[in-house]
Amino acid sequence: MTIYHLFGPVISLCLLAAASVASAAGDTVRKDEKTCFESRKGLSQVRKHEIEPGVMNVKCSPITGGVLFWGDPFDGTIPMGDMPVEADYSHEEAVVKPREPQIDRNKLLTICAMACHNGEYVPYPENKLARPLRMHKDIVPDSMQLKHGKGAIWCLDCHHAVTRTKLIDHYGNEVSFNQSQKLCGKCHGQVYRSWRNGIHGKRIGMWRKGGKKRWWTCTECHNPHDVEQGGRNSGFAQLNPEPAPMLPKGMSNADHERGHGEEHGR
Amino acid sequence: MSKEETKVKGPNGTSRRDFLRKAGSYTAASLSGTAMLLSDPKPAKATANVSWAEHFQKNYRLMTDEEKKEAVTRLEHRYSEEFGKKVEVDDAPAMDGVLFGYALNIQKCIGCRRCVKACVAENNQSRGENQQIEWIRVLRMEKGKFSAEDRDRQGYPEDYGVQVGGNAYKPAGVVLEGQHYYEPDLVPEKDAFYLPMQCMQCEKPPCVKVCPVRTTYRDPDGIVVIDYNWCIGCRMCIGACPYWARRFNWGEPDLPAQEMNPDTHYLGNRPRMKGVVEKCTFCVQRTRKGRWTACVEVCPVGARKMGNLLDPESDVRKVLASKKVFRLRADLNTYPKFFYFME
Repeated sequence: MTIYHLFGPVISLCLLAAASVASAAGDTVRKDEKTCFESRKGLSQVRKHEIEPGVMNVKCSPITGGVLFWGDPFDGTIPMGDMPVEADYSHEEAVVKPREPQIDRNKLLTICAMACHNGEYVPYPENKLARPLRMHKDIVPDSMQLKHGKGAIWCLDCHHAVTRTKLIDHYGNEVSFNQSQKLCGKCHGQVYRSWRNGIHGKRIGMWRKGGKKRWWTCTECHNPHDVEQGGRNSGFAQLNPEPAPMLPKGMSNADHERGHGEEHGR
Repeated sequence: MSKEETKVKGPNGTSRRDFLRKAGSYTAASLSGTAMLLSDPKPAKATANVSWAEHFQKNYRLMTDEEKKEAVTRLEHRYSEEFGKKVEVDDAPAMDGVLFGYALNIQKCIGCRRCVKACVAENNQSRGENQQIEWIRVLRMEKGKFSAEDRDRQGYPEDYGVQVGGNAYKPAGVVLEGQHYYEPDLVPEKDAFYLPMQCMQCEKPPCVKVCPVRTTYRDPDGIVVIDYNWCIGCRMCIGACPYWARRFNWGEPDLPAQEMNPDTHYLGNRPRMKGVVEKCTFCVQRTRKGRWTACVEVCPVGARKMGNLLDPESDVRKVLASKKVFRLRADLNTYPKFFYFME
């Protein structure tokens, strides 16, 4: 125990350092053209590979790096798993892309839970009241801009206190990162219902009833730490748009449409 | 072989001159065809592959099943040769009991234009320096500043923007003004919303009404399609469409072989030629096989929904049942099957 207390911080620092190096390496890989993103830039990355001779799993935009085409819409997916409520996915094959490899891609969460947040080394918080974090500004940049629930909720309302690779719902039940809807739906019930019915959120695959579909889970589109996106109330982080259409022949710029309204207002 | 010789030699070694000499010796029935070939500015390779049968084939709707199969096989050979890969041309007819409808969540759209580019990649539109064709157009609209009372009393608000409301007795105030060529660094912008437009697959399509050769028509599953081979390029349909959905190939389409999507449909995304009109077909090559359209699949915010309007359990019907829905230019009685919705 004494030895652990002496070496614990050292070990964890080493681990964290290793993790940050891994994270930096991850960033360089992402800039590479072999990786592109599906919905959330940086957190829904997909690596290009051939699924059969001459067919790539994805085709990406050369300008923004967004996925433009899925060769196989179900590549790399797992079954969605049982959900307590009967809805669209109960009647047809529903798959999701696992979120855990994206979120824990540098094994950071696993390391955190082993090294520090094991319930012993870092004191377990007395209550769930929000308080500014003194550490981790570099590791969890989102933690400094936590804007969710108008200040009413805080890290441990969603994250497991000691098993960092899991989420918890408001009963304290463990929820997998792959099934964030089970947690988000506890507060956002109406959106959850729409999502279950297929009219909120995104699915790809077969449009027919009974056809196989890949469902997008909540965190594949929304950033749970900053849902309102700095007061823009958009729900989505800003992205680089694809280039504008080509101007008609003979038109040198599009200024005519920029300052519109003035002549109409009078 | 000199550069010029490479240019005029066909793929099977016949030069353009040989080909034309042979062509000239055909009977009088082919005179018009010869004239067309003589005036055709396409490179020799493509011209050599245009078969007489293709030039003289019937309107697609009047063809028998055998003739359709023949036409499709012919095209498959020609495209496979032209693009250097195995190209499949599908001729799947409309499915029974299906009427395609589309719903777009206008509150969600962030204006990233990813649907536009995915559509180009899927549907073999012309790209490159000379001619870019995009079937989807995204308009950036300014958010209006107005109150409900002002809307009915004054019409167009003083602080301009987009406004709705008005009827026969009150000023309309609806202006469809948007920016096509917006280019901010990041979207969505704070003071804007985005309105993507494409073919609305009208139930009473004005483009079909005006087509003098009836090459564009509404298929039983509600998709308005074009037989490109029968199109004479008069562009009446472009004038008739109130949604600016149709595009014209003013020049030879620029479609690089390695970017060509080999999974095509006769009435959909097969490579087009110069002088024909094209437009969105709800990705007929995908949807008739049960797959969602390219734009639905790539939308990073899930704003696009598509499904069968005859199935009460489909996404579109659920949207119609539970959301606020509007259609563009509903006053024109075109009955578009493209719905915009809000929460």
